[in-house]
Formats: sequence, structure tokens, C-alpha cells
Amino acid sequence: MEMLVFAGASVVKITIVMVTVLITVAILTLAERKILSWMQDRMGPMEVGPYGILQPLADGIKLFFKEDIIPAGANWLLFSLAPILSLVPAFIGFAVVPYGPNQEIELFGVTVKPFIITDINIGILYILAFTSIGAYGVILGGWASNNKYSLLGGLRAAAQVISYELNVGLAIIGVIILSGSLSMVTIAERQAGPYGLLHWNLFGGLQIIGFVVYLISAVAETNRLPFDLAEAESELVAGWMTEYSGMRFAFFFMAEYANMILVSCIASVLFLGGYNSPIPDSFVPEFLRLPESLTWISGVFWFTVKVYFFLFLFFWLRATLPRLRYDQLMKFGWKVMLPLALGNIVITSIVVYFLR
Amino acid sequence: MAVADLVKTFTFYEILTGMKATITVFVQRIILRNRKAITLQYPHEKRDLPGTYRGMIALLKYDDGTEKCVGCDLCEAACPSRVITVVSAEVEGEPMKRYAREYSMDMTRCLFCGLCVDACPVDALAMTKEYEWARYNKRDLLLDKPQLLALGDRNFPEREKKLEFQHPNVAYFNIGHKNLPPKTS
Repeated sequence: MEMLVFAGASVVKITIVMVTVLITVAILTLAERKILSWMQDRMGPMEVGPYGILQPLADGIKLFFKEDIIPAGANWLLFSLAPILSLVPAFIGFAVVPYGPNQEIELFGVTVKPFIITDINIGILYILAFTSIGAYGVILGGWASNNKYSLLGGLRAAAQVISYELNVGLAIIGVIILSGSLSMVTIAERQAGPYGLLHWNLFGGLQIIGFVVYLISAVAETNRLPFDLAEAESELVAGWMTEYSGMRFAFFFMAEYANMILVSCIASVLFLGGYNSPIPDSFVPEFLRLPESLTWISGVFWFTVKVYFFLFLFFWLRATLPRLRYDQLMKFGWKVMLPLALGNIVITSIVVYFLR
Repeated sequence: MAVADLVKTFTFYEILTGMKATITVFVQRIILRNRKAITLQYPHEKRDLPGTYRGMIALLKYDDGTEKCVGCDLCEAACPSRVITVVSAEVEGEPMKRYAREYSMDMTRCLFCGLCVDACPVDALAMTKEYEWARYNKRDLLLDKPQLLALGDRNFPEREKKLEFQHPNVAYFNIGHKNLPPKTS
């Protein structure tokens, strides 16, 4: 009976998170086009619905009913497997992200944590491990398409993801040293306090270098502009997605946006305090103070605000910066980002050793 | 100077300048609302075309409904792309008068240079402002005489008076006057 309740609660939580992520992906596809066009003196999609707000629906219907083409020379198995291999790791990371305070509720005698699917003690390591598997989807898709552009895109993506994943891993080590834990919930809890944003790892922990390195590497890891060398419309048609169409292409597309959301979630939990409010407690007026049982509303609200800030930053960067050259990308990753991240680790360790 | 450059590099000064430019446009567009998109929503709103716009070519008529074309073949000779085919014939019962029995234009080849319009001695040809002539079938762009005349009727509802009722100078400049001066000679 207890197992059943636990499993039922987990299924409900998983369903809610999946639906939220998919809806956010749909919103993002429209938001990206709209925000880009607003920044570039254009209008963006205007035809489907008022101001084009039904465009994601139209796109979804189109991609769903499109003919599913497998090129004649393609490896059928890997060609079909690659989109799944890139979509599943993108979604699986949401299992350990804390969306709200670490509360517990009693449900038929079973304690359930409503704002996190599962709190495992190596949460961030688990996310890093699974996002690396996402690179397999890209390179296998590029190889299996039997197309030179796809192969080049896949190779580029593999090289880029590997070099920048290293930087992601090193940039967050400072945060892990400060928190003393790999669990996302513990990391978020350690940043709570009466002085709001002064307790965050970014300001209180002075992880500014780590934050910048993480942000840049995260943009590169999700293959977004200005690091979209794997996709590179002007050079490689569409990179590893050249031969894909219909639902398989939609899988890659959803994986890219889900990865963006995941990376934003990690950034807000690790550096911006997750669900913790930035406003110091004493500044909050009396009528806005929520009762103890309702603090989760402010937690979820601030978490959403932070995630959407990072997502906006993705579009903002895309509207501003042109694509890097391949050698510049590698040079930047290995010669600038890596030493910065290593230096951040050294300095943080020394400071933590002497102050604790 | 070198120190300033280093500081600029490490604070991403150039990138931040660019990001400020994009967010400024964004704020002006969405929050201040003092900036408009330069996009023209084409099928719903169209550009104002200049008066000299060179669109589809049309054959014209006089105000009594007779065709202007005298079948002289000069347009065919002037055309650099061999778009025009004219078959000239005599008007029955009037031995001195000729007309174009068949007149066809292959608009797939036309480059809209307007040399035929310049060449026409009786101003029977004109360039309209029509441009939405995409067709699924290429043969639909082979225009025959009724189609060309229909184009002229559609785009130039005000027709000119007959040549012999016009003042010679006026006729030369192709301006139809309501009150014509009496012919001398």
C-alpha cells in the first residue's frame, strides 16, 4: 500500500513536470522568434492567431503529420535511435531539480516531497552524466544520416560538447565546495537566509567567475548561438539535423529547448539560490508576507522568474552575437574558460579552508 | 592603454555594449512603444508603387472601343527577348488600315525593359502596375490578344480619344485632353 501511494505520487509529479516542460518548450519556440524579431525591428510570426500566438500549435501539427523520411543510405537503426537518445537525457535531468522549498507532506501515511521528483545525494553529478549522453544522440544522428553536412555537424557538436562539458563540470565545483554537497536540494537550502540575495552562491559565495564560466559553457553545451557551430545554417545546412524531418526533427528540436530549460534550472539552483527570494526578509512589507504553509508560492514564483531570466538571456545573446569560428571556439574553451574555472576552484578551496 | 584593453576584455565590454544595443531596441519596441517594425505584412498591406513602375504589359483601346494597335511589328523588332509575336493584317474594306490579327506575348521570357512601349508609334502598349502573376502552369503566362486587352481595360479605365481627334503635339506626348483645340490644316 505504501509503495502504491509512493509510486502514484511520483507518477503525478513526473506528469506535472513533463507537461510543464513541454508547454514551456512550446512557449519558448514562439518566444524565441518573437523576442528575436522585436530586437531586430521585425514582427515575427503574425499569421496564426492574434499576433501569432498559436504558431507553436501550427508548427506541432505540421511536424506531426509530415512524412517520415529515412534517407536511402542511412543506417536505419541509429537514424531512428538518435532523436530518442538526445530527447531522453534532456528530460531526465528534471527529476532532481528542486522547484520549490523542501517541504514534506503526509499522504496516507507516506511522506511525500511535493516540489522535487526525487532527492538523490548526487543530483548535479547525475544531471551532468545524462547531459553527456545527449551528445551521443547528436553524433550518432550525424553519422547515421550518410550525409557530409550531418557528419561534419555531428563531429563539431561532439568536440564542442566534450570541451565545454569539462568547463561546466569545473565551474560548478566552486559551488559544490561551498555547499559541501552534490544534492541539488542541499545546495539550494544552503543559499537560504534572512538577507535574500546576499546568501546566494553568486554574491555571498563570490562565485562570479564560476557563474560566468558556467553561463558561457552552458550556452555552448546546448549548441545555442553564438556557439551553434554544430547547426551552423550558413555553413552546414542544418548540421546533424540536415536529413531529419517530421517527428524525428521535432524530437531534436524539443531536446534542444528542454536542454535550455534544464541548464537554466541548474544555473538558478546553483548560483541564484533556486527558490529563495532575492529580497531580504526585513524589506518585505507586512501584507505581502505569506503564512508558513504558503511560502511555497513565493518559492515557485522566484524559481520561475530566475529560469525565465536565463531563457531570456539565451535569446538576448542570440540576437546580439554572431557565430564564433571553430578554432576560436576551441581556443576560447581550452585556453580561457578552463584556466578560469581551475583558478576559481583553487581560490575557492583556499578561502573555504581558511574561513571554516 | 594596455591595461584598459585588458579590463575591457575581462569585463566583456564589447559584448555588453552589443547587448545594450539589442535590449534598447527591445525596450523601445515593447515597453516604451516608440519604435515600429519595418516589416510590411505583404499580402495584407502592399507597397505604394512608383508611377514609373514597370509591371505587366497591356494593349490599349481608344475611347470608342477600337484597338490602338496598327500591327506595325515595331514592338516585335524592339523586343530583346523575343517575347512578342504579331501577325498583321489589313482591315477589311479599308485598304490603307492595318491591325494585329494575332498578338501574343510570352511573359515567361519578358524582362520588363519597356522597349516595346517606347517603340510603339501609336502608344498602343503600356506598362501596368500589376505584378502578382505567379502561376502554377507556365502556359498561363502565354498571353494572347484578348488577355492583353483585358489587362489594358483593367488598369487604364480612362481611354484616349482617337488619334485624328487629338492635337498633333498632344498626341505625341500621349495626353488625352477633354477639350481638344480644333485641328488646323
